[in-house]
Amino acid sequence: MSLLSSLWSPWRARAGGLAVLAVLAWLLPYQLNVYWISVADTAILYALLAVGMGLVMGVAGQVNLAQVAFFGVGAYATAILTTHNGYGFWTAAVLAMVAAVVAGVVVGIPSLRVQSHYLGIVTLGLAVAFTDWITNAPITGGDSGISGIPAPPLLGINLTSQYLYYYLELIVLAAGLAFGLFVVHTPLGRRMRAMRDDPLAASAAGAEIRRLRLIAFVLASLYGGAAGVLYAGQISYIAPESFSIADMFFLLAMVIIGGRRSLAGCVIGAVGLTIAQQELINLSAYAQLGYGLVVVAVVVFAPAGLVGIPRRAAAWYRRRRRITGRAAALEPFQPLPPAPGGAGAGGTLLEVSHLVRRFRGVVALDDVSLAVRDGEILGIVGPNGSGKTTLFNVISGLYRPTAGTVSLRGRAISGAPAHRVSQLGIARTFQHLRLFSNLTVSDNLLVSMDRTRTWWNWRYLCWAPGVWRHDRALRRRAAGLLASFGLAQLAGALPGALPYGIQRRIELARAMASSPRLLLLDEPAAGLNGEERAQLAAMVRSIRDSGVTVVLIEHNMGLVMSLCERIIVLDSGRVIAEGAPAQVARDPAVLEAYLGKSALGESALPAPQASDMTAPQTVLRAPEATEASS
Amino acid sequence: MQSFFQTLISGLSFGAVYALIALGFSLVYRTMGLVNFAHGAVLMIGAYVASTFYLSARLPFAVAVPAAMVVTGAVGLVIERILRPLENKDFDLMLIGTIGAGTVLQAVAIVIWSSAGRGVSSPVRTAPFDVGGVRVQGYSVVVVVVTAVAMAVLALFMQRTKQGAAMQAVAMDHEAATAVGIHVGRSNAIAFAIGAALAALAGALVAPLLYVTPTMGDSLGIQGFAAAILGGFGSIPGAIVGGLGIGVIGAFAAQSFQGYSDLVTFVVFTVLVMIRPTGIFGERTVNRA
Repeated sequence: MSLLSSLWSPWRARAGGLAVLAVLAWLLPYQLNVYWISVADTAILYALLAVGMGLVMGVAGQVNLAQVAFFGVGAYATAILTTHNGYGFWTAAVLAMVAAVVAGVVVGIPSLRVQSHYLGIVTLGLAVAFTDWITNAPITGGDSGISGIPAPPLLGINLTSQYLYYYLELIVLAAGLAFGLFVVHTPLGRRMRAMRDDPLAASAAGAEIRRLRLIAFVLASLYGGAAGVLYAGQISYIAPESFSIADMFFLLAMVIIGGRRSLAGCVIGAVGLTIAQQELINLSAYAQLGYGLVVVAVVVFAPAGLVGIPRRAAAWYRRRRRITGRAAALEPFQPLPPAPGGAGAGGTLLEVSHLVRRFRGVVALDDVSLAVRDGEILGIVGPNGSGKTTLFNVISGLYRPTAGTVSLRGRAISGAPAHRVSQLGIARTFQHLRLFSNLTVSDNLLVSMDRTRTWWNWRYLCWAPGVWRHDRALRRRAAGLLASFGLAQLAGALPGALPYGIQRRIELARAMASSPRLLLLDEPAAGLNGEERAQLAAMVRSIRDSGVTVVLIEHNMGLVMSLCERIIVLDSGRVIAEGAPAQVARDPAVLEAYLGKSALGESALPAPQASDMTAPQTVLRAPEATEASS
Repeated sequence: MQSFFQTLISGLSFGAVYALIALGFSLVYRTMGLVNFAHGAVLMIGAYVASTFYLSARLPFAVAVPAAMVVTGAVGLVIERILRPLENKDFDLMLIGTIGAGTVLQAVAIVIWSSAGRGVSSPVRTAPFDVGGVRVQGYSVVVVVVTAVAMAVLALFMQRTKQGAAMQAVAMDHEAATAVGIHVGRSNAIAFAIGAALAALAGALVAPLLYVTPTMGDSLGIQGFAAAILGGFGSIPGAIVGGLGIGVIGAFAAQSFQGYSDLVTFVVFTVLVMIRPTGIFGERTVNRA
């Protein structure tokens, strides 16, 4: 019994399942005739293509309808270099991979400008352009294609045998799948998944979106190119009809039906649809009808693909039986270790001078100058539309200033992209939560905790153990941070399933994961209840005591008055007051901005109201009610 | 100069067809948020229905085409009902879901009309006439005129009728439209049916220029989609300009580069989209933090 339970850990179950699959895949050729072994070879190639698609579409969220062109580039480059230029197979294979990667970069470049359906039609158009080229160019043999491609020589093994070729392809697929899974579960893949869920928040967390998109396309082209090389070596004859748009859509169906966000799902989809196609090949029109209906049904009823079905079934079963697991709970916040030398030296950390930001005719920031002192908690208040969030967006690099500068410790950062600003030590949260919805709480923190630059990722190609060690170190630190913020039990949960107050805390923890020097909080108390607000105040104080300077935008005046040491008031894009909370609350310009001129005129009304005016909390709460409802 | 105008004329007649296809894409996308990759297949169904009325039932072309539009519009209502769960969803799912629906339509076409194609003779048998040294086919003029009339009717419908206004309201904000009492489901169904009828018109008009086969919609659909993006996805004037643009680019590419016309067209298209991602009359999307 104890042996059984010790064997039945998820990790061991998975490893055991993989071992069984590997043995089955190894023994498979002994069961197949010549026809079916070539089907198996085709299925493996489709699986390789599908894993590439899964990485670019499912993981990185980039629509790629040119995978079949990468496949074609790999195959045609191998064919041309071996038959036309007389290179050996493996030399040609390496050059073909280079050609495929170049194609990947070319197809990926539009992703820097356009996304979603725009990217879909552009990549599809480039795939059409490729098929047009191979059907017309003399060097590709036009419609009749290229024949006489040699089989790859390998240690004297006769790879003209479809049976032995199967093993070569199987090994490449296993390696490709392992590499893909490694990418997905380590920093590069995590950043790509974050980018898929919310590119803006990902860049604010330090991810370089444009380069990541290109990397995603290059990864897809590596898989496409490898499949193309293997295909050319397998069948020794290639023609344009193997690289058609219909094949592209068939491949897409495999990925979606299997489950685009899971590489295993992509493989399942590829193998399943290849077999189904062979089984139904003689039924033509009716098979096509059934295939189309299945595609529509899967998309409508199982959007996560076949791999998503077991989880949905389990969830349904638990609901049916009213099984409620032990609910994971939020734990109390553990104060962060205080900074050794006290909270900051009091010098200027961030300086904003004469900042202007216009949106067409609208002036959102009009000559704003302010300084943030090291180690303080600074509040920024002002009526709605006064430019507070725009100020944060300019500081954090999401908007470029129209004029003026922002500098961090004397170093100009205005105009720097968001990921660069994040790397320089400014973290932020968003007014409307922007968590990575399909990443676990722990992964949300890990994305922001990873401080490496994009070029660091060369290690994926040359030095995988280094990547692995880096990831382990990140995970250890993330565990500590999760514990500090009381999120340890929720580490594996998806944020969308958690209550709003907890999501706010996760976003705060994610911002802190980047070890910032300056933390920008955009309405951190919005939507929180009284108890959560008190917790937030304690957290912000602890964060400041740990050596991080905090600037917060907040409408809840009670919180601002009690938490901030200094307040800056914005109105219509200008700084209208600055000073200690009590002093600002009495400033006539502030009262006018919040209550309007007529309200000031009425301040000559009976005494009780006039004395209310001196109590800052009461006065400034009045507009809060109206703003909360807007 | 003469050959320039000759190429331009041939580009414009295909461009008119692309504009009709782009218009269907844009209308459905604007009102329902559905990027419909089955649009090419709907066009193919329309072409088959029209050719059946015209060739087998021996109806006059001017009767066969509107009849095909009505029938295909009705087919559109059925497709819309099936695809409704995909509206306003993740693009990947819409993409493959609508491609799947297109596959079903192709299979249905093969079952009904067999996979062998059919040629449709031109309904205009007059000799090509000569305008300043440029030979113009009578049928090209018919295509351009019919397209222009269809677009004018659609624009009037959208601007002058209550249903048209309701569809525009749904396009802007479907939740707000529901709140003011517009039946969003019905409005979407009508939009899809109109899109399908436009596809049928495009298919019927292009049938005498090409060959009617179950896969004829594949390439036309891609060209039409590119036209919609080039003009500005979701915009009616954009669909017209984009359609004519793709048609003219394709005609000049075919003249100068023969077989490589698709290659040239789509490379030019990619460059144009890179330069102006929102198209000529594009939708503006603002990403706010």
